[in-house]
Amino acid sequence: MHKRVLTLLGFALGAVTIAACSEKLDAGASCPLLCPQQAISLRDTTIDAIIVDTTIVGIPSIGNEGYLMLSSHGDTIDTRAIVRFDTLPQTYQKSLVDSTIVHIDTAMLVTPIAHIDSLKRPKVPITIEAYNVDTLAASDTVAAVLGSLFRPDRFLGSKTFAPESLKDTLQIPISTDSVLTRVLSGAPLRVGFRLVSSQGYDIRIGTGAVSRAVTLRIRASTDTAATPVNVTPLSRTPLDKPFISGPLADYTIVLKGQTPNPATLLAVGGIPSRRSFFRFDLPSRIVDSTTIVRASLLLTQVPNRRVDAKDTIYLYPSAILASPVVTDVATALGFLSPPGSFGLDSVAFFPGDTGVKSIEIVGLVRTWKAQPTTVSPRTLGLLSAVEGQVPAEVNFFSTRAPVGLRPRLRITYAPQTNYGLP
Amino acid sequence: MTQILAHVLRRGAATAAIVLVPLAVHAQSNLSSQGFGFPTGQLSSRAYGTGGSIAEIDPLSPVNPASLSLIPTRTLFFQIEPEFRNVSGQNGSDHTTTARYPVIFGAIPVGSNLIFSLGSSTLLDRTSSTSFKTTQALSATESVEMNTKYAIDGAMSDVRFGAAWTPSRWLRVGVGAHGITGHNLVTITQSFDDSLRFSTFTASRVLGFGGTALSGGIQLVSKSFVLAGSGRYGGPLNLHSEDTVLTSARVPNRFGASLAYVGIANSTIAIRTSRDNWSSLGTLGTSQLHPVDAWDTSVGADMAGPRLGDRLMFLRGGFRVRTLPFQAAGQNVSEKSITGGLGTAFAANRVIADLAVIRASRSANLSASEHAWTFSIGIAVRP
Repeated sequence: MHKRVLTLLGFALGAVTIAACSEKLDAGASCPLLCPQQAISLRDTTIDAIIVDTTIVGIPSIGNEGYLMLSSHGDTIDTRAIVRFDTLPQTYQKSLVDSTIVHIDTAMLVTPIAHIDSLKRPKVPITIEAYNVDTLAASDTVAAVLGSLFRPDRFLGSKTFAPESLKDTLQIPISTDSVLTRVLSGAPLRVGFRLVSSQGYDIRIGTGAVSRAVTLRIRASTDTAATPVNVTPLSRTPLDKPFISGPLADYTIVLKGQTPNPATLLAVGGIPSRRSFFRFDLPSRIVDSTTIVRASLLLTQVPNRRVDAKDTIYLYPSAILASPVVTDVATALGFLSPPGSFGLDSVAFFPGDTGVKSIEIVGLVRTWKAQPTTVSPRTLGLLSAVEGQVPAEVNFFSTRAPVGLRPRLRITYAPQTNYGLP
Repeated sequence: MTQILAHVLRRGAATAAIVLVPLAVHAQSNLSSQGFGFPTGQLSSRAYGTGGSIAEIDPLSPVNPASLSLIPTRTLFFQIEPEFRNVSGQNGSDHTTTARYPVIFGAIPVGSNLIFSLGSSTLLDRTSSTSFKTTQALSATESVEMNTKYAIDGAMSDVRFGAAWTPSRWLRVGVGAHGITGHNLVTITQSFDDSLRFSTFTASRVLGFGGTALSGGIQLVSKSFVLAGSGRYGGPLNLHSEDTVLTSARVPNRFGASLAYVGIANSTIAIRTSRDNWSSLGTLGTSQLHPVDAWDTSVGADMAGPRLGDRLMFLRGGFRVRTLPFQAAGQNVSEKSITGGLGTAFAANRVIADLAVIRASRSANLSASEHAWTFSIGIAVRP
C-alpha cells in the first residue's frame, strides 16, 4: 500500500516539476503601476550628412542589361536591340543522322519578352522589324553606325502584333534566303530589332545575361523527322576578349533620347541607364554611441515627365561592397549588394512626381557602427529595378541644388542610457 | 552557483530524466519582484514547509551556520521551487510560471564535532520579463507606437563557506564567510508597429554583483527546547558592468532568532523572527529604488506522522508573514503565506526528500494584488 502512495507522490512531484517547465515570460497587465522601467526615449534629428553625391551614366554597361529595351516614342526616344548569332550551324539532324543544310524552310526569331501588365498593353498594334546589322566596321557597337544599317536593303522580316497577342514570346519570321546565305558562307548573322508603333511604346526583350535570350530557330527541311535547329546568341568580337565579347551577344543601342545629367540633379534609370552615389559623414556620437532605429535618406524629387511619367518605378538603395581603395565612383557602383540585402527595401516612385521622398536605409547605417570608414565606407548606391530596360528616369535635387532642396539624412536613435538598474 | 546550475539545467532540459529543469522565469510586473528581485528567504524545502519557523535550526537552510552541526555525514542538497503566480491589477491579470533553484550545497564532517559546508543560495531573484506599449513622440507632427520588452535573467546569490562546531551537547556554534555574487542579464527590446521604417532595437548588458559578508550563529539545546540565533554582517557590495563599478552599497545585515519545542519525539514546534536591513541596498540602484528594512516572522511545526512501512513520514505546516524588501510604487509590500509539507527518507536514509506547498498572498496599498502557489522540492543525498 505504502509503495503505491509513494509512487503516487513521485508522479505528483514529477507533474508539478514538468508543469513548471512550460515557461511564461511575458507580463505587463499591471503596468505602468508596477513597472518602474521606462521605454528608452528616442531622439530624432535631420542632418546634412551627404558629403558626396553624383550620378554615373552608363551603368549597367552595354550588354549587361537585364532586358533589352526596345522603345519607340517618336522623336523623343528610339532604342534598338541587337542580337548576335556569330556562329551558325551548317548541319541539322534528321532521324538522328546529321545532314548538311542546303535549304531552309523557315527561319524564326523566337523572342521572349518581359511580362506586360494588362494596364500597360499598347493601345494599337505594334510591329517589330528585324534587320541584318552585321558590319565589318571596327566600331560594331557604335549606335550611329548600327543605326544606319536599319535600312530596306538589310530588311530581314517583320511581324505585327495585336495588343492582346503580346504574351511571353514573340515569333518573328525572317528571310530564309538571307539566313541560308550566311549558313552556307559561314558568315555571322547579327539581327537588329526595331519597334514600330503609331503610339509610343516600350517592350523588353529577354537576354542571356538574366533571362531567356532570343533564339534563331531554323527548320532546314519540311520532313517532320527533321529536328529544328535552335541557335543561341553568341558574339565573337572583339576577338580574344571574352569578358567583353560575351555580354555583347545581345545589347541595346540608343539612337534618340539620351538625356543630359545636370550637376544640380541626381538621376536613376533613364537613357542611358544611370545610378546615383552617396557618401555620408555621420557624427560618431550618433553612429557609434547610440542605436539607430530609423535612418531615412530624404530626397527632394524633381518631376520628370519626359516619358512614362506615371509608371511605377522601383528604386533600390544598395550597399556598395567595393573597398575604399576603389576611389572611382563608376567602378564602385558596379559592386552593389544584391537588392534586399542589408534590410534595404525598394521604394516605389513615379517619375513625374515631386516633393520630399524618404528612402529607409537603417539596415545599412547600423552596419557602420564602430566600424572605421576604411572597413565599412559610409556609401550608398541608388539604382532602378529596371535600369537599362525602360526609359523612365527619376530625378532628385543634389547637394549642388539650393539649400532646402538638398539630400539630407534623418536619424532616429536610442541614446545610451544607464538601463537595467532598478 | 545557483545561476550556473540553472543554465546547465536549462540546456539539458530535453534529456533530463525526471525533468528537473523548469526555466527560471517570472514577471516583473508584480509586487514581489520589484527592485533587485524577490527574496526567496534562503529556506530549505523542509523549513519552507513550516513557514520558515525552523530555519534557525534546520541544517539544510543556509541561515544559521550553527545548524550545520546537525548534519551527521557527507551530504549533498539540491532544491527546486516552481511558483505559479497570478497578479491582478486594474488592467487585468497576469498568470506566470516561475521556477527557482534557491539552495544547493554540500557538507562534510571533519572529526566528531566539526563540519564544513560550501553552498549557494539565492538572495534576490530578479529573473523577469515585462512588456508594455508606449507612444513615442518624435516631433511635433510625428509619433510612433513602440513596444518595449524588458527581460532580466539572473539573481544576486549568496555563496557561503560555513563551519560548525559542537563543543558540548547543549551548545552548537557556527560561522560563515559569504561571497555575494551573481549577475543580472538585462535585455531591452524595443519594436515598432511601423516596422517598415523603424528597425527593432535590442540592447543587453550584464550587471554583476560582488560583495562579502560574515555570519555567525548559535544554538542552545535543552531536552525540550532549542533556542537559536544567527546574524549576518554585511560588507561592501558593488554593482558592476564589465570592468566598471556602477554603484556601491553594503550587503544587508540580518539577525534572526527562534525558539523551538522539541519535547515530542521526532517533532519540532517553532516560532522565528528575523530582520533584514535591506535599506542598505539603497545606493545600489537608482534614486527610484526604495528598499525597506523588513521583518520576517513565522510559526510552524514539523511533526512525525504516520509510518509507511519502515519509513517515517513527516507532516509540516506553518504560517509566515513578512515585508518584502522593495517598495512597489512607493508602498511597502507585505506577504502572508500558509504552508504545508511532507518529508521522508529513502534508501536506508541515504536520500531525504521534502516537499512544501506554499500559498502566498502579497499586497500593498495599491490597486494590485498577487497570489502564488509555490512548490518546493528538496533532495538531500548522503553518498
